[in-house]
Amino acid sequence: MPRPTPGEQDQNPVVQRKRRTPWKSWLLFLLFAGPNVALLVIFTYKPLVQSLQYSLLQWNIGSATARFIGLDNYVNWFTDPATANVVRVTVIFTLVTVVGGMVLGLSLALLLNRKLRGTGMARTVVVAPYVLSGVAVGLLWLFVFDPNFGVLGAVLKSVGLGSPDWYNDPAWALPMIIVVYLWKNVGYVALIYLAALQAVPKDLIEAATLDGAGPFANFRNVVLPLLGPTTFFLSVTTLLSSLQSFDIIQAMTKGGPLEGTTTMMYQIYQEGFATGRAGYSSAIATVLFFVLLVVTAVQMLFIQKKVHY
Amino acid sequence: MTASPFANLNRRQLLQLAALVGGSAALAACGGPAVGQAGGAATETATDWASVTPAKEITWWSNHPGTSKDIESEIIKRFTAESGIKVNLVTAGANYDEVAQKFQAASGSSNVPDLVIASDVWWFRYMINGQILPLDQLAKHLEFDTEDFNSTLYGDYEFSASHWAVPYARSTPLFYYNKAVWEKAGLPDRAPKTWAEFDEWAPKIQATTEITPLGLGKGTSWSAWWFCNMLWGAGGAYSKDWAMTLDTPEALEAAKYLQTIIYDNKSAAVTAKDQVADFGAGLTGCTIASTGSLSGILASSKFDVGTGFLPEGAKGPACPTGGTGLAIPADKTPEQQLAAGMFLKFLTNAENTAYFSSNTGYMPVRTSALEGETMKAVYAKTPQFRTAVDQLAGTRVQDWGRVFVPNGDKDLTTALEKIMLQKGDPAEAFATAATSITKSYEENVLPYL
Amino acid sequence: MSLDVRRKSPVPREDMLPWTDGEGAGKRAQQPPRKGRPRIGGYLLMLLAVAAMVLPLVWMLLASFKQRDEIYTVPIQWVPESFALSNYVGALAAVPFGNFFINSLITTVVGATLKITLGLTTAYAVVFLEFPFKKFVFGLVVFALLVPQQIVIIPNYTLISDLGWINTYQGLILPGLASAFGTFLFRQHFLTLPVSILEAAALDGASHWTRLWRFVVPISAPTIAAVALVSIVSEWNEYLWPLLVVDKAEMMTLPVGLTLLQNNDGVTNWGVLMAGTVLITVPVLIVFFLLQRRIVTGLTSGAVTG
Repeated sequence: MPRPTPGEQDQNPVVQRKRRTPWKSWLLFLLFAGPNVALLVIFTYKPLVQSLQYSLLQWNIGSATARFIGLDNYVNWFTDPATANVVRVTVIFTLVTVVGGMVLGLSLALLLNRKLRGTGMARTVVVAPYVLSGVAVGLLWLFVFDPNFGVLGAVLKSVGLGSPDWYNDPAWALPMIIVVYLWKNVGYVALIYLAALQAVPKDLIEAATLDGAGPFANFRNVVLPLLGPTTFFLSVTTLLSSLQSFDIIQAMTKGGPLEGTTTMMYQIYQEGFATGRAGYSSAIATVLFFVLLVVTAVQMLFIQKKVHY
Repeated sequence: MTASPFANLNRRQLLQLAALVGGSAALAACGGPAVGQAGGAATETATDWASVTPAKEITWWSNHPGTSKDIESEIIKRFTAESGIKVNLVTAGANYDEVAQKFQAASGSSNVPDLVIASDVWWFRYMINGQILPLDQLAKHLEFDTEDFNSTLYGDYEFSASHWAVPYARSTPLFYYNKAVWEKAGLPDRAPKTWAEFDEWAPKIQATTEITPLGLGKGTSWSAWWFCNMLWGAGGAYSKDWAMTLDTPEALEAAKYLQTIIYDNKSAAVTAKDQVADFGAGLTGCTIASTGSLSGILASSKFDVGTGFLPEGAKGPACPTGGTGLAIPADKTPEQQLAAGMFLKFLTNAENTAYFSSNTGYMPVRTSALEGETMKAVYAKTPQFRTAVDQLAGTRVQDWGRVFVPNGDKDLTTALEKIMLQKGDPAEAFATAATSITKSYEENVLPYL
Repeated sequence: MSLDVRRKSPVPREDMLPWTDGEGAGKRAQQPPRKGRPRIGGYLLMLLAVAAMVLPLVWMLLASFKQRDEIYTVPIQWVPESFALSNYVGALAAVPFGNFFINSLITTVVGATLKITLGLTTAYAVVFLEFPFKKFVFGLVVFALLVPQQIVIIPNYTLISDLGWINTYQGLILPGLASAFGTFLFRQHFLTLPVSILEAAALDGASHWTRLWRFVVPISAPTIAAVALVSIVSEWNEYLWPLLVVDKAEMMTLPVGLTLLQNNDGVTNWGVLMAGTVLITVPVLIVFFLLQRRIVTGLTSGAVTG
C-alpha cells in the first residue's frame, strides 16, 4: 500500500495552513505546470492526434491532397511479407540492447564500485561515449568495422581470423549495430547502477558476509533486491530510447543490407521521408505507439508484483 | 523564465488548443493534406510570361553536388552581375534525399524555395504531388534552346508531354580499371568491349594476381542503377512504362549472369563496403563507379587508372544516366518563377555547364558544351574524362518502375542483394520486387495521374 | 495510468555520488580488505572496459590525420605519416564549424535550462500544490514519454514552418522543450523530501516560488544533475529535428553540419570526415571530463546546504 505522500493528502499541513481561494490555487498551478503542459499539448499531443488521422489516409508526403482509405494502411502493413522481418529485427535489437545493456551496465557498475585505484577515471571513461552524438558515433564505428580498411578487421586478421562481412550479411549487420548502440549507451546504465550501488548500506553486505554468505549469494539475496527500483527505472527508460533509436542506423547501414537492420522506428522514417508514404508511415508509427503502451503497462504490472521495496 | 507560453500564441493556435482540449475532430483542418480532393500534377497554367516582371530575389535549394558550393556561388555572382537578380544559395541537405525530404516536408508552407534540386528518383514524385511546374512554356519564352540539351538527359524529365526539370549535375556509371593489373595480365590497355570479353580476360587477371578482377557496389540508389547495364545489355528491362518486366527471360538471364561471375567464375565480388575504396586500394582490378567519383579515384589511387565504356551485353551497349536536375516549384508567384527560370537558363548554358562540369566531374548537359574550350582543357588534363563524356551519346532513359514508383529502387535493390549476396533465386527475388512495385504504383502513383 | 510504482527516488541521493573516487565521498564504508587474485582480475577487467571505450576514439583521432591513400590501404596503416592538420583545415574550410558550434551551444544551454526549469515547476506543482486534476496532469506529462519522436515530426514541421520559425532558435528549441522525463524524476524525488522543511518555510511566509528555488532545489542537486546530464546530452546530439528545421548552413547544429562532410556521388574523404567527427566529439569529451569534477563538488556543497 502506498504510504501517504506530501501534498497529496488533505491533512497536509503545508497546504492546510494556507487555504487559498480556489481560483487562486488554480492560477498558481497553471503558472507552475501550465507552460510544460501547453508545450506538450502543442508539440506532442496535437501532432499525435494528427498523425492518427494521417494513418487513415493514402497520402504522399509533399502532396497537398490525400485520399481517405480507412484502415488499409494497417491492413497493408500487417499483410506485407517484409513486416515479419522488421518485427524480428526490432525485437532482437530491443531485447539485446535493453537486457544486454542492463546486464553489461550492472557488471560494469559492480566492477567500478570496487575499491581499486583509478576507478574514478574508469567511471568517467565508461560514461564518456554516452555524451557523444549518435551520428558521430555511427560514423566513427563505420570506419572501425570496415572489413578492408578498418581496425577491427586488421586485429581479427592478425589473430588469423577473417573479418565478418558486416555490411553485406544481415546476420552480422544487426550485431554490429547492437554493439555500437551498447558502446554508446552502456555507460549511462552503469552510471545509474553505480549511484544506486553506492547507496546500498555497507553494513547490510557485511552482515550477510558474516552470516557466511558467499559473494554471489550475497549479491543475489541482498544487493539485487535493493537495486529493484533502479532496474525498473532503467528498464523503462532504456526500452523507450532503444525502440526510438535512429541516428546510429542512419549513419551506419541505412537499414540494410537486405533490410537486416530496419527496425520499426527506422521503417517509419524510411517510409515517411525516403519513400514519402506519409500515411503508411503514420500507421506504422501508431502501431509502434500502441506496442510501447502495452509493453510499458506490462512492465509496470510485472515489476509492481515482483519488486517490493 | 517561466512566463506563460500563452503570451506567444496567436488566436489560431489558441483555437487549436481549445479544439484539442475539447477533443474536437476539427483538428483535421490545421496543417496536413486536404482529404478527398483531386490531387495530381500541376497543370501548365496559361501564364503570359511576357507580361511578368521577374522577382528581384530568389532562393535555391542545393546540396552542392560534388562539393560544388564555390562553383555554384561563382555562377550566381556572374548571374547577379548580369541580371541584377539576387540568388540565395541554401544548403538544404547533404544529399539528394535530404533535400527531397525537406522539400516535401516544406510543401504547402511558406518555406518553399524558388528553385530546387530534383534528382532522377525524386522529380517524378515532386510532379505527381503537384509541387513543381512544367517548364516547356517558360523555357520557350526564355529561349532555353532545349534542342541543345543532351537528349537523354533532358528526356529523363519528360512525362505526359511536358518537361518537369532541366538537367544539371548529371552522371553515368563508368568502367574503371587498374592499368598495372591489366599490364600484368597482358591485357590491352582498354576496357573490355563486352561482358563476353570480360569473361575471357578475368581468368588472366586471376592467374597473374591474387585480387578479384571486378568489384561490384551495392546499396540503394546504386545496385539497381549499374545493373541497368547488364539488364538492358541482355535485352531486358525493369519495366515497360508501368508494367514490370522482371519475369522476362532476358531479365532472368541478366541476373543469372551476375550470379555466374560472382559464384561460378569468382571473377566478381560484391564489395565489403565501398567498391570505390576497394578499387583505389588495389583490392580489385576494375570496378563500375559513377563518373562523379572520377576525381576522387584519381586522387586516392596509387596506380594509373584507365576508364572505358560499360561492357556491352548480347543486345548491345547499355548505360543509364543519373544525378540531378533542377525544378521550379509550382506554388510560387509567376514573378519568382520567371526569375528562377532566368537563372536556370543561365546556370545550364553552354559556358556554365562546362564550367561546372570541369570543376566537379559531372557531365556537361549541353551538346554544344562538349567540344568547347573549357571541356577541351579538361580532356587534355584528364583524358579519362573524355571516355565518360563520349559514353553519354549512348545512354538511355531510365525505366519508370525504378525511378518513378516510391520504393521502386529500394525493392529492386533488395532483390539484387538477394541475388548477389545470398545467391537467391532470381525469378523469386524479381517476382517479389515486381509485386511490391506494382502495388506501390497502384497505391501511390496511379491515383495521382 | 501512473508511473508511481515506488516511493523511492531511483536516482542518486547525495550520498550516492557516482563519480567520486573514494576520497571525495567520505561516507564509503570500509570493505573487507581483499588481496591478491581478485584485485588483479578486477584491474584486468577494468583495463579491458577502458580499452573498449577508448580505442575506437583513438582510431578516429589517428584517422583524422591520415591522407586518403593512407586510409585506403591494405594492410592498414596504423599511424599517419604526419600529424599535419590538413584534414582539419579541409573540414573547417568546407563547412562553418564555428557557427555549428555556437548554434549547438545556444540550443543546448537555453533548451536544457528551460527544460529543467519546466520539469522542476511542473513536479513542484504536482507534488506540493493543490489542484483537483493533478494526477491527470502528471499522467498527461509522463504519458508523453511514450510518443515516438518520428510520429510528431511532420505535423510539427508544418506548425513551425507556418509560424515562420524555420532557421530560428525558437524553431530548433521549442518543439522538444517540454519536460516529461525530468518531471517524472523530479516528482519521484520530491515525494521523498522531508515535509518539515517546507512546513517551516511556509510558516516563514515564503511563497511557493521561493520555496521551490530556495528550499527544494538546493536539496535536489543530485537529481537535477542527473536530469541535466540527460537533457544536455540529448539536446546537444539531437539530429533528425534540426536536420529538417534548418536549411541554412549558418544555423545548423554540429551533428547536422557533420553530415555535410559526407560526399555523395564521390569518394568519401574519411580523413576530413574523421577530422570533423573529432571536432564534434572532443570538445564534448573535454567539457564532460572537466564537468564531472565540477558536478561532484557541486553536489557535495548542495548536500551540505540542504
